[in-house]
Amino acid sequence: MNLTNFNRNEEFFVDLQRCIGCKACEMACAECETNGQESLISVNYVERSSTIQTTVQVCMHCEDPVCANVCPADAISQDEFGIVHTANTERCIGCSNCVMACPFGVPKKMEEYDLMMKCTMCYDRTSVGKKPMCATVCPSGALFYGTRAEIEEMRPNSTPINTFIFGQETVHTKVNIMMPKGSNELRIY
Amino acid sequence: MKNKTFNTKALLVATLVSALTIVLVFYGSRQLQNFDAALVTYLFGTVFAFFGIVYRYSVWLQRPPTWMYFKRSLKFLFTGKIFAHMWFLGKESVENIVVQKFIYPRSKYRWVAHFCIALGCMSAFAITIPLTFGWIHFTLAPDSISIYEAHFFGFKMMDFKIGSFLAFLIFHALNWSSWLVIFGSIYYLRRRLTNPGLIATQSFEGDLLPLILLIAISVTGLCLTYSYQFMKGFAYDFLAVIHAVTVIMFLIWIPFGKFFHIIQRPAQIGAHIYKKEGMKKGMAVCPHTGEEFATQLHINDLKIVTKQLGFDFTHEDGTSHLDLSPEGKRSRLAQAHLRARLESGGSLFG
Amino acid sequence: MAKLPVSTEKIIEDFGPHLNYAPKDGYQGRDEPDEVVKTHCCFCGMQCGIQLLVKENKVVGFEPWMEFPFNEGRLCPKGVQRYLQNNHPDRLLHPIKRVEGKGFEKTTWDEAMDKTVSEIKRIQEKYGKHAFSMLSGVSLTNEKSYLVGKFARVALKTRNLDYNGRLCMVSAGAGNKKAFGLDRASNNYSDLEYAEVIIVAGANISETFPTLTHWIWKARDRGAKLIVIDPRMIPLARTADVHLDVKPGTDSALYGAMLKYLVDHDMLDHDFIDNHTSGFQETLDAVKDYTLEWAEEITGIDKNKIREAAELWGKAKTSFLLHARGIEHHSKGVDNVLGCINLVLATGRIGRPYCGYGTITGQGNGQGGREHGHKCDQLPGNRDIENPEHRKYISKVWGIDEKDMPGKGLTAYEIIEAIHSGEIKGLISICFNPLVSLPNNNYVRSALEKLEFYVCIDFFLNETARHADIVLAGSLQEEEEGTTTSAEGRVIRIRQAVTPPGDARTDTSIFLELAKRLGEEDKFTYENSEAIFNELRVASKGGTADYFGISYKKVEDNMGVFWPCPTDDHPGTPRLWEDKKFATPDGRAHFNPAPYKLPGEVTDDEYPIILTTGRVVSQYLSGTQTRRIGKLVDQFPEPMVEIHPELALKYGIKQRELVRVATRRGEGIFPANIVETIRKDTVFIPYHWPGAKSANQLTPGTLDPISKIPEFKVCACLLDPQGKIAPPSKESEAYASV
Repeated sequence: MNLTNFNRNEEFFVDLQRCIGCKACEMACAECETNGQESLISVNYVERSSTIQTTVQVCMHCEDPVCANVCPADAISQDEFGIVHTANTERCIGCSNCVMACPFGVPKKMEEYDLMMKCTMCYDRTSVGKKPMCATVCPSGALFYGTRAEIEEMRPNSTPINTFIFGQETVHTKVNIMMPKGSNELRIY
Repeated sequence: MKNKTFNTKALLVATLVSALTIVLVFYGSRQLQNFDAALVTYLFGTVFAFFGIVYRYSVWLQRPPTWMYFKRSLKFLFTGKIFAHMWFLGKESVENIVVQKFIYPRSKYRWVAHFCIALGCMSAFAITIPLTFGWIHFTLAPDSISIYEAHFFGFKMMDFKIGSFLAFLIFHALNWSSWLVIFGSIYYLRRRLTNPGLIATQSFEGDLLPLILLIAISVTGLCLTYSYQFMKGFAYDFLAVIHAVTVIMFLIWIPFGKFFHIIQRPAQIGAHIYKKEGMKKGMAVCPHTGEEFATQLHINDLKIVTKQLGFDFTHEDGTSHLDLSPEGKRSRLAQAHLRARLESGGSLFG
Repeated sequence: MAKLPVSTEKIIEDFGPHLNYAPKDGYQGRDEPDEVVKTHCCFCGMQCGIQLLVKENKVVGFEPWMEFPFNEGRLCPKGVQRYLQNNHPDRLLHPIKRVEGKGFEKTTWDEAMDKTVSEIKRIQEKYGKHAFSMLSGVSLTNEKSYLVGKFARVALKTRNLDYNGRLCMVSAGAGNKKAFGLDRASNNYSDLEYAEVIIVAGANISETFPTLTHWIWKARDRGAKLIVIDPRMIPLARTADVHLDVKPGTDSALYGAMLKYLVDHDMLDHDFIDNHTSGFQETLDAVKDYTLEWAEEITGIDKNKIREAAELWGKAKTSFLLHARGIEHHSKGVDNVLGCINLVLATGRIGRPYCGYGTITGQGNGQGGREHGHKCDQLPGNRDIENPEHRKYISKVWGIDEKDMPGKGLTAYEIIEAIHSGEIKGLISICFNPLVSLPNNNYVRSALEKLEFYVCIDFFLNETARHADIVLAGSLQEEEEGTTTSAEGRVIRIRQAVTPPGDARTDTSIFLELAKRLGEEDKFTYENSEAIFNELRVASKGGTADYFGISYKKVEDNMGVFWPCPTDDHPGTPRLWEDKKFATPDGRAHFNPAPYKLPGEVTDDEYPIILTTGRVVSQYLSGTQTRRIGKLVDQFPEPMVEIHPELALKYGIKQRELVRVATRRGEGIFPANIVETIRKDTVFIPYHWPGAKSANQLTPGTLDPISKIPEFKVCACLLDPQGKIAPPSKESEAYASV
């Protein structure tokens, strides 16, 4: 693997309320070399009948990834940078355990391929020091990839958090979500 | 993920299977009279591989998600209409294990190449393992100098004429396997060396070495044939050693590396059975989108499995975050985020 | 003669639209391109910088261009997929001719040119010079736009040249000229960053100019208040501080009431008004009765929201007002624009950092294309074709006798009307698909069928071109060198990444060849695009849109130069009016009375509901290009009619039920999308599709009296549910649409 140029100072920051639902990220994601023209990021209307709100979801790269834990085929691995990789094509048996267990709704089951595919934070790009495709093209800043100093300067009234509470479970992630200043966590009801 | 380094249960099963193999070798080769002593290194390699594979498989099966699938698929398979289930099993095995149809949509070239490797490897296994164990051996027919007989486990299976086309095919079967493996492996090697997506994510030992090993085995095997057929045995001994080394490396590596997928792949059929039977029992409806998204069985089992693995997504009201579809989960996260933003003074920006 | 030669289905089978998807592993050579070409996206006035990857004369992919200052790599879905218009199976690779009963057949350039020129001559001899007309478009570069203007006047010698900018920003252009004497966004978008209040009026920025969102969000991050004026809850409006859900066709009442509120509460910049403007009193008189209560009644917006918006606007120290087609596509388009400008002038927030105003030009070169003689009444440098001095100057540049310079011609929609009346018999078109983009397109179709001869230059066989006698295979944006001018007035370089495939030719070479065959070779000899640009510079010199000081090198070195730039050492003008010297004859900015008037068509018992139209994020205008790109079509496979749940309940319409939407001009059947994000009295249909799925079957041809822009944004319709649920949108063939 091209580990030499991975920029450890740059991080992923997501701010869901800036999303305008344009799907530039979905189109760009498919252009990522690891994805073979499949889009692994998800943009969807939250509840179209009542609001135009959309949401965008990249893989959060959990510190202890549920997807990898529930994989019966040991097909999902995590590397030294905390990147949770997409299913190993020869191992994945297409069972969808990860798809249903991921608390963020990230992995996608490609029915045709009988294979799960997920975001690897554009490993082909980040591993050579480039920014992920989605965060590069995002016209709204809902997806941003850069240093903490940059995000602090740009959005001084928000705090990046990476702790999420789903019921009894607390999940820590590599990817951050921008929250009101002073927040420590996001509780999902 | 968190496999213990030492697993008594698996050790026991693996030891038993290895012992059984040795017993079968003993009897299958008719008290070793059909055993070819030149193949003894291969025998040890194979038995060790068996040990490793079974050990690894047993460890793997004990993981909660795997065990859940294993248990459920076997149970479904052997309850109710067993005949229909067996038909399904047969059909699925042909489609997924023999033909590997799921690779085709990824790319037809990849499918062809993979099929070549798979066919080459499987046929080679089918020939060499029984040969090594002394289960297969060839003799001249008792009253003839031109008819060969093939024996399996000491029983006569078939006979054919020396110099016939069939004889040519049978005696060179391993060569045909080698060509298939070389063709497929070179395609994949080329792909792995040129596709930037793969270059970024692959590792030498995990992805390139297996292909190189396959090519090495096949090429040295072919060289052996050419050495004794056309070059009067030039460098034969040397080649034989190299060939043995690559094969044994391959064998003992099966449980640990890329080739374990050969052993693992039938689990895919288990997943299919699980889904099919789950659908009969009813689908889960996402409370957010109001749409069906998975089998209820799957969701229920996942709640158990995640708890066994130390994750608890249960809310205070007894519902679970896992009741939501992926889209529902994403939407709920966005709604929670909006709420948090609004509750802290209403500024969505900054 | 211009009826379809064969069925539409057959034409679609041969020429598309077909959907282009990239191969699973990407195009060959994407990883090791021969060339990485820094150019711009062709889909909208933002003109985002993008790098095209070229291998063996084919565009095989893209890479974000991080250094270009406006978008810094950011793109919208159209931008990401734009590279797929190259290498497209529908691409015209040679000229084709209409063959009755067979469709279109391959022909040679010689034959196509001969036929074209002989028909032009025949028609002009028989019916007069102006019986041959030309329609053009502003996705063309500045060079081509200039060339079209010169070609029509000098080679075709017709006065009847107009362009699709007529459906775009002409209302804004007319309003800007009246108020400022010059037609350009007053500021570049970096002035948004520290604006305290931003008004976005009738501009669905997040869908039609997605990359501009970044600048608005940037201001929001600094605490800017956002006011969005739109009948729909557009993505931008969801998070806005004030969303004024205006009833379509009543915008000027809103601006009038806001102006009165500013005056009543003395939130004015008296110094600016007194010293730098004129016409304030007449303008006030026109709105003196426009109370908040009155405005609430007319516009349907809660008066408290109008007050809140006026308060925010009135008290701000810095601000930016942006508008687009939402207020311009009206029979009162110019009035609406003037209403906005009055709000800007009353507060004096212009010509200073972070105090901005501007229309957001829609088309790729909507700004540059409308400056250099593309319009029926205009000469290069935004000069007036009826002004004797302007005529004289341009005649000199072009080397013609001023007497031979045609006068003012008909506007785009009037050309269609003149074809109907028999006044115009022949047409040459480029970069314009009126059958999809003009209103009341059944009327447009019958006009096309009356033409004696129609020749079209295009790279795909668009819906209008299906009616042509000859189609000349032209070039894509990335197949010629040139410049465009983005919505902020920045002149930028478009690069030739590849040469036209097959036997297709560059648009420029087609015009030069036609001009030669029309006997005007001496006036149409250029070595390259830069030579055309250099002539444009001279032609624009001294005009309001002065490009004289802009050279290719300067553009390249600075990643764009803002016009006006009158001399070689001039740095360009990112922000206008810093000297408070306006381009009007008296040097002052003009207030203009913009009293409220009814739209051209109002609802009644027969047609009780308001219909408004617009765009979706994945499609560009008439869709000639974007309806051929697979993933963009998948994103919005078909037009749906947006209906509020209360209105749907009244008619018993269910989600995705097919609804017949009819107006006095036509009807179409669309699946219903029942959403609370639209006014209860209004329905919305996006317009990118042709044929049975076309929203422009319904829209009226009512024109603004000044700008002649059609009233796309408001008409009266009825809803008639069909009792059937539409099949899943994935099965839709609407992108092809018979």
